[in-house]
Amino acid sequence: MGDWANILYVVVVSTIRMSVPMILASVGAAFSVRAGIMALGCEGMMIAGAFFAVMGSFFTGSPWMGILFGITFGIIFSLLHGVLNIRYKVNQTLSGMSVNLLAAAVAPLILQIIWKSKGISPKVESFKKLDIGFLEEIPILGSILAEQNILFYVTLILVVVGYYYMFKTPQGLRMRMVGENPVAANTVGINVVGYKYLGVMLSGAFNGLAGAYLSLAQLDMYIDGMTAGRGYIAMVISTFGKNSPIGAMLGSLFFGFFDALQTIFQGGVIPSQIVRTLPYVLTMLVVVFGLKSARNPAGMGKHHDE
Amino acid sequence: MKSGKLINNRFLKSGSGSFTTSVMAFLLAIIVGGILIEIAGFSSLATYGAIFRGSLGSTKGIVLSLSQATPLLLTGLSFAIAFRVRIINTGAEGQVYIGAMAAALVGAYVNFLPGITHVAVSVLVGMIAGGMVGLFIGFLKIKFGASEVIVGIMLNEILILITAWLSTGPLMTPGSATAQTNPILETARLGRLVPRSQLTWALVLAVIIAFYLEWMIRKTTLGYEIQVIGSNLKAAKTAGINVPKIYLLTIFISGAIAGLGGAALSLGIHYRFIEGISTGFGFAGIPVAALAMYSPAGVVVSSFLFGALRAGAMTLNRTTSIPIEFVSVVQALVVVFVAAPMLIASIKKNLMKPFNGIRNKRESIKGGDA
Repeated sequence: MGDWANILYVVVVSTIRMSVPMILASVGAAFSVRAGIMALGCEGMMIAGAFFAVMGSFFTGSPWMGILFGITFGIIFSLLHGVLNIRYKVNQTLSGMSVNLLAAAVAPLILQIIWKSKGISPKVESFKKLDIGFLEEIPILGSILAEQNILFYVTLILVVVGYYYMFKTPQGLRMRMVGENPVAANTVGINVVGYKYLGVMLSGAFNGLAGAYLSLAQLDMYIDGMTAGRGYIAMVISTFGKNSPIGAMLGSLFFGFFDALQTIFQGGVIPSQIVRTLPYVLTMLVVVFGLKSARNPAGMGKHHDE
Repeated sequence: MKSGKLINNRFLKSGSGSFTTSVMAFLLAIIVGGILIEIAGFSSLATYGAIFRGSLGSTKGIVLSLSQATPLLLTGLSFAIAFRVRIINTGAEGQVYIGAMAAALVGAYVNFLPGITHVAVSVLVGMIAGGMVGLFIGFLKIKFGASEVIVGIMLNEILILITAWLSTGPLMTPGSATAQTNPILETARLGRLVPRSQLTWALVLAVIIAFYLEWMIRKTTLGYEIQVIGSNLKAAKTAGINVPKIYLLTIFISGAIAGLGGAALSLGIHYRFIEGISTGFGFAGIPVAALAMYSPAGVVVSSFLFGALRAGAMTLNRTTSIPIEFVSVVQALVVVFVAAPMLIASIKKNLMKPFNGIRNKRESIKGGDA
């Protein structure tokens, strides 16, 4: 009995740990998609977030400054995606891929220049578990909460605020309208270009934060390839969750659970590499079978002046 | 032939662009790369000078450039041919891994094939392995409408992990400290074109494939159908072209060529499969193909350019110059610039602006004189 409780506890803790960055990334993807821009650049924005967050923390000694750096550079890379899409009408797949390629190239280059090391940064100040005081006394829940850092709570707040903004405010309605039908939105006087930029920048901010969580909360350094395709998975989760922040959160928890299985099967009979394929296999299954009822906004990739 | 009607020229142009766009995109990437070098505190002129000398300044440099270009040529072709039917094959990296593994296994364990047939069969198996992965991606796309971009990326991760498991687990060389399979037999080695270099017959094979594909696209019925699908899917369907069949065929070819890239690594360079055998060659094929405007013959040229850039950067002094990672940034910038013909057009216009101003001034001065 004690064993099972322990395993359950480990599963829940690692599910949350693996889910938080996916929640942030997929909520970001949802904003991009809702504004009519394919969220294929998430991987790159996440890489930028993870790397520059470490750089920020390294130079200032504060993980909060690291977060700020991560978000800022997530937005900068999202703007590349945005400008290519909105201003220069580049094929969305190509512009997304170019954001990913560029971020994956820039991070190792700067890493090499600053720290003269290949693929791995030095350890920096990171986020520690939050002291929740007496709340820790609550059975089970207390010990699970005690494992979390401040970004866990920030993420929960962001999901609620994101949902409220997207579905309960006039601005959110306008953004969704831009994504659904840019021509009609333009006709009724909505600033189509402005909302598209807003959507893509929000996706940059969220993905930058997601990357920063990977490097400053899950770990305390940057490692090349640490995003490991999570940006692409986030895009799938967002569609799977009907491009709603709540749906994105639930979808991420589902994926996080499979990601967490790694920790449980560690050192077991099944080789670790095979266990690590689980989230990717699951993503493929979802892409193949799970997106039947899901749909993206009708105006995705369309421009108001065409 | 009534090809003119079915192939929508406007779209072909916006998708493929022109030769000038290519040249401008490459130059812009080099210039922005130069600015980055300066920001990093090195001299851009000295760096580019050293890269040029290191790559094209000597026979040894040219051989190095060609050997660096070989995998890029193959993955570039792989991306280009799929893109001609607007399939984005992001799965090339995984196809390289599975191709390298399959070829290495045939090379190591099949010991009854005489002479050149051993290496030929090994290469072929590598290609088929890559092609099957491509076919799988195509099947999921046609049958379930699954995005090939996502499926490709997921398959990369899965195949890299599975081959890593094979090379650390069941197929690991006994007593080895690193993750690698048993060495291939001598008969399975790809011959070298130049002794003591990494330049192998894979390059010759790749160039032949490139020109064959170019001919195929331009001159055969299949190539014609590929062009029609790529420029106007609706028209292709109306014209009664079997779109799913062409999709499957193209993505199979694409995967097989990436698989050959993997076979070239394991049979020509490492003589076995090692964990992490490809350092992102699959993705490096994207800029190569984009710069060539997705023309197979053009990929020969663009892969040589990038190969030379890598070769030159490899010879740079590690302590006094920019690290080789800078080449990947230039590659990524090429994709950005090539992808945006409108961006290039507006830069062209802005570049000409000052000259326009001068011309206007001249004209006004002339006017004043009169």
